[in-house]
Amino acid sequence: MKQWVLMLSAAVLLYGAPVFGQDSDEESGGDSSEDIGSKVEAMGESMLEMKSTLDALKKLKFSGYVQAQYQMADTVGNSLFPVGSASAGTFGSNIDNRFSVRRGRLKAAYTADYAQFVLQFDVTEKGLGIKDAYTTITDPWLRGFSLTTGVFNRPFGFEIGYSSSQRESPERARFTQTLFPGERDLGVQLGVSFDEEEGVLGMFNLRAGIFNGTGGTAVENDNNKDFIGRLGMQLPFSDIGLAVDGGVSVYSGKVTSRSALVYDFGTVSGGPGLVLDSSAANLNASFDRSYVGADLQLYYDSPLLGGVSLRGEYVTGTHPGVPSGSAVYSGSDAVVNRDVSGYYVYFVQNIGLVNQLVVKYDVFDPNTKVEGSDIGKSSNGLSAADIKYSTIGLGWIFHWNANVKFTAFYEIVKNEEVNAAATSKLVPYKSDVKDNVFTLRAQYKF
Amino acid sequence: MTKLLAGLVTAILAFGFTAPKEVVTIKGSDTMVILSQRWAELYMQKHPDVSIQVTGGGSGVGISALINGTTDICNASRPMKKAEVEKLKQRYNSLGVEIKAARDGLSIYLNAANSVHELTLDQVRKIYEGEITNWKQVGGADARIILYGRENSSGTYVFFKDNVLKGDDFAAGMQSIPGTAGVVNAVSKDKSGIGFGGAAYAKGVKYAKLKEDGNSPSYEPTEANIRSGDYPLTRYLFMYTRSRPSGAVKDFIDWALSSEGQAVVTKIGYFPVK
Repeated sequence: MKQWVLMLSAAVLLYGAPVFGQDSDEESGGDSSEDIGSKVEAMGESMLEMKSTLDALKKLKFSGYVQAQYQMADTVGNSLFPVGSASAGTFGSNIDNRFSVRRGRLKAAYTADYAQFVLQFDVTEKGLGIKDAYTTITDPWLRGFSLTTGVFNRPFGFEIGYSSSQRESPERARFTQTLFPGERDLGVQLGVSFDEEEGVLGMFNLRAGIFNGTGGTAVENDNNKDFIGRLGMQLPFSDIGLAVDGGVSVYSGKVTSRSALVYDFGTVSGGPGLVLDSSAANLNASFDRSYVGADLQLYYDSPLLGGVSLRGEYVTGTHPGVPSGSAVYSGSDAVVNRDVSGYYVYFVQNIGLVNQLVVKYDVFDPNTKVEGSDIGKSSNGLSAADIKYSTIGLGWIFHWNANVKFTAFYEIVKNEEVNAAATSKLVPYKSDVKDNVFTLRAQYKF
Repeated sequence: MTKLLAGLVTAILAFGFTAPKEVVTIKGSDTMVILSQRWAELYMQKHPDVSIQVTGGGSGVGISALINGTTDICNASRPMKKAEVEKLKQRYNSLGVEIKAARDGLSIYLNAANSVHELTLDQVRKIYEGEITNWKQVGGADARIILYGRENSSGTYVFFKDNVLKGDDFAAGMQSIPGTAGVVNAVSKDKSGIGFGGAAYAKGVKYAKLKEDGNSPSYEPTEANIRSGDYPLTRYLFMYTRSRPSGAVKDFIDWALSSEGQAVVTKIGYFPVK
């Protein structure tokens, strides 16, 4: 900004100089001090005009990043055991490596006194998508309350709101991707956050709102609205270089069944399974979509090792999916109600100024009421959608400069081993499927 | 030929065995530039193996440089904001280390010929928000008040906005000037001018005595008034590092906080922290 002002000043002076010169040529006696004074005043006014223009432009800021990557899977996937579903999307049939633009973001934010307007687009080889489109209005009196409307991140947990440009692992945990696809939803949110000067109050923050529940920019498909909220806290212990952040989150919503077919967990053929209820009353009935979660982040500036962080999050609840998978219920499929749970733990160690070591472990159990040995038995309705996954991620990040970083990340994906008959489609899951994925990513951010 | 070879060998050995200077970079607050430069000069005299490079740009610029990894020490005339600490946490897994390096009385500069000698905090606020526009409204001559201030990358700008304007915006007509020295210079040449900045810069201008309200006594930003807390606009001047300082960075900071370093603070016109 300073450079801009200096350049403009120089431009004004350069513009002004010949004018004085010409006048001097034309008038034998040169300018009187009064003339020069009035010209300087005019220049001052001109500068003020330019300053007001610049001030307006300063309110508009563009930022963005591109993540280009190469990925290699342990083996080629096929329809029976898709590879890479939680690693930026399933590899195509008979493909075990690929280049892709994972994210190509451009964000425009216009910040006025008590309001902010944000648009963010995502451009990849798959096309153009809208990520964010919202306005935030801040109360002008206490400046601690805000109201956000539009499409924006759901206020749940930590990982959803943690930018993909900052996140140390290439993708979010499997449970985050499954329960909160796309991270965003359409709705209205109240935010409460005060500065440190407010004492104890400044340590807490709240974000809570009402959302469609359809996710992203998807059109609302029922009259149910979902409540999502997170109460967070930040405890800095600056004297010992420690920060303890965390929060508790709630998701309380419903989906509307567009089918009379509903599956609930129960007993089938003497064992656990999904029991079909096909009563007509199920059509257009509402079914719970509710989760609770807790997250904790520890940051410590170790005298010996440098900055280190340990972050974890746990979520459990009732999740309405579809027979073919754990995706959130939509469309006209049968509803499958499952109890789910998931968690992750990150360990990030800074090594010097430019390197980071990352270890991540995440687990997602899409049906907490069944074991692997229950899955695959004939006619109990359980499928690949009920298989529990755990993933160990090992990564190295090199920050080349403030804009560029390279990430090498290897995900060791382990599935629950099922008890499938030889003719079952689940045979590949009788042992751990070879679906580990290596990602090499370059990111440019501005 | 032998001499040439001997000379070359000597040069190579001299080059090879000359330890490169350790470089410490300091960036940020313009308010602290003079202080840091003086610190650097004295420190380098005692430690010829260390090179201290000081640049200004404003507290915001310094904090960005700290986050981006382009400076070892950031000078700031305001505390780091929550959002800035969050960025450090995200990138370095640390909160940054805050070092109180000096104290300052944020001063209101008036032209030496101005007949106004004292102002309440509320009057200063109204002047900079554009509610009071003529000196006669605060007991001075009938003349339009010309506002001089800093750019928004300046910590002084932010401190003034937070603590005097209580978060409100500056009047649109305020002329933003890069550097406190520039503000002082502008006010010294403008009979109707008013500016703000660090106490150490007030050369050729006079301080406005400040008072909490109309019934309070007024105070100049002197060491005694700042130490006692009577002067209503006191602040710390900070140094920040990304993580616990070590090596030459730690040694320099320790020295700046020593009695020798703090004596420089007094000499420059600020006030020691101890």
